[in-house]
Amino acid sequence: MKNKNAKASKGLSYKRLSFEKKTAFWGVLFLLPWLFGLIFFFLKPLLMMVWYSLCSGEFVKGVYKGKFVGLDNFKYALTVDADFSRQLITAVTEMLTNVPIQIFVSLFIAILLNGEYKGRGFFRAIFFIPIILATGITTVELAETALNEQVSESVVSAEWLIELVQSSGIPTQLTSLISGYISNIFDVVTTAGVQILIFLSGLQAISPTLYEVAQLEGCSAFETFCKITLPMISPMIVVCLVYSIAESFASATVTETIYDVTYAGQPAFYGYGAAMSMIYFVVAVGCIGIIVGIVSKGVFYYD
Amino acid sequence: MTKKTKKKKISHKQRMQMAQEMAGISFWVDLRKGRLSKYTIQKHVKRTIMMIFRYVILICLGFVIITPLWTLAKDALTHPSALASKTSVWVPTKVSTMFFEMAASRNLMNYVKTLGYTIGMTLILMLLQVTSAGLAAYSFARLKFKGSNILFGLVIFTIIVPSESLMLAQYATFRNLDLFGIIAHFNNGSGINLLHNPASLFLLSFTGMGVKSGLYIYILRQGIKGLPYSIEEAAFVDGAGFLRTFFQIVVPSASGSILTVSVLSFLWNYTDTYYKKLLLAANTPDLALTYHRQLGNIRWGINDATKANADWLAAVNPDSPFVQNAVASACSLLVVLPLLIMYLFIQKRFVQGVARSGLGGD
Repeated sequence: MKNKNAKASKGLSYKRLSFEKKTAFWGVLFLLPWLFGLIFFFLKPLLMMVWYSLCSGEFVKGVYKGKFVGLDNFKYALTVDADFSRQLITAVTEMLTNVPIQIFVSLFIAILLNGEYKGRGFFRAIFFIPIILATGITTVELAETALNEQVSESVVSAEWLIELVQSSGIPTQLTSLISGYISNIFDVVTTAGVQILIFLSGLQAISPTLYEVAQLEGCSAFETFCKITLPMISPMIVVCLVYSIAESFASATVTETIYDVTYAGQPAFYGYGAAMSMIYFVVAVGCIGIIVGIVSKGVFYYD
Repeated sequence: MTKKTKKKKISHKQRMQMAQEMAGISFWVDLRKGRLSKYTIQKHVKRTIMMIFRYVILICLGFVIITPLWTLAKDALTHPSALASKTSVWVPTKVSTMFFEMAASRNLMNYVKTLGYTIGMTLILMLLQVTSAGLAAYSFARLKFKGSNILFGLVIFTIIVPSESLMLAQYATFRNLDLFGIIAHFNNGSGINLLHNPASLFLLSFTGMGVKSGLYIYILRQGIKGLPYSIEEAAFVDGAGFLRTFFQIVVPSASGSILTVSVLSFLWNYTDTYYKKLLLAANTPDLALTYHRQLGNIRWGINDATKANADWLAAVNPDSPFVQNAVASACSLLVVLPLLIMYLFIQKRFVQGVARSGLGGD
């Protein structure tokens, strides 16, 4: 309906437009629903959040009535509130430790899944199951109810190994990091579903002729990986990084704190909750910007 | 009939023999007779080691993925009398579906009603989301205009920004929906309250701001960009309009990535609790919401369920942690089961679609 109206209103003049102009016209038309959402449900709320965070006030019949207090909310969040800044730092450090291992593991699994071998369809089916259980409730509950019994047992029984490694003189920070990764293997594998998917489709897109050439030239498997697979997959690494970091921040405990302060507390905390959200937002976007900015310098685009 | 099958069997055997000779057996024969060079042996050994390594890793990690599901099923299918038994580690000693029936009953999940509501809701949300994402993606991929690259940058921005940070403002927006005063002008000076109304979710999904909509736009744009432009060009030359080209040429050719996006959208809308908690009423018969609510006070749910059914009352003690764990497992499985069944059916096409859709590659 909307399209027809737009066309009719343009009337005669539409037919006389050049093809480029028509293309642009339809480009905007196709974008209209998204543009509407961008303005009303994204950009406007973003500005509203900035305004809320600078105020202290409450909702009267769904309209925010606030008193301008300047940067007080931000000051309180960063200097007085002990929990918030601590949790924010935890979120960042967790992201920094988990995301690299996630990228590494998902690339590794994608490469294993990619080749020619018996039962490929079966294994692919299994490794995409985590995507089903990826978001929200189910993984958490699965991990809590079912896994505590089994994996914790296996981790406990691996303790002698950790002790052995520690007594051999390797620094404890390193061993505790690695044993942390091992006991987190369920989390890593179950949250890596989408990354495996992205990497797998990237691997499929690499032309087999490149590998043939490498084989003819006598490259070893390691050289082939470093000189062909890694550069060709590097754009995918950036995509996965963005996705992983965003996911890591979304599942951090800070979000729960913000939710609690904003909803479970007194109405007077709206401004404070908004300020916390803004800090969280700036930190998350800043982290993604910095990391992707650094990594994308090494990205190779094959054209 | 019998003749045919016999013929097939023989040919199959022969084929197997030939395949074996080509693949491995001939290698052992050659090796024994000393016909092989050092290089060939080395290569073969290397390949075998890689194969074993691959299978070991895949089986171990696959085990990690499958185990929790298996354990849930085991817990949920155990008979109440065998719950505390130490012998049922992998397989229950006595099987019963009582916990499933209890979890599906009206006092806990009210499964039939919630499942119907959730699947209907999720399908609508999926359709809206994929439609708007597809239109936007086509525009970004092919219908370039001034500033469309900047707008695509904003798509990336919507992916990056955690939706949690906009929670309060989105809540306020839907509490008092007012598009620059246009609605208020017709509605006695106040906006519409869309809270506790599924229309708010529909609106978000159709305007491309729903659960991970930005990601779908990104994936579909990559998919459409990978299509050969010449077909669309031919359509334009033959006089097809933009709408027609989009629906009759682009949509069928990009069906791989559209399938991927649809599946992801269905999954994530189904399991999403963030938007549902924010915008829907607390007593909505939604599967994820009900699950969340019931798990918080599973003891009372079991208590009510046993009061309603004499058999359950005789067999089950609501205070027992074993019973609570079993019922919780049954609830979790009931949530995941429709997804697993759906996955079973579309698994092959989904996996192939992912491989072919060219999810990335700019």
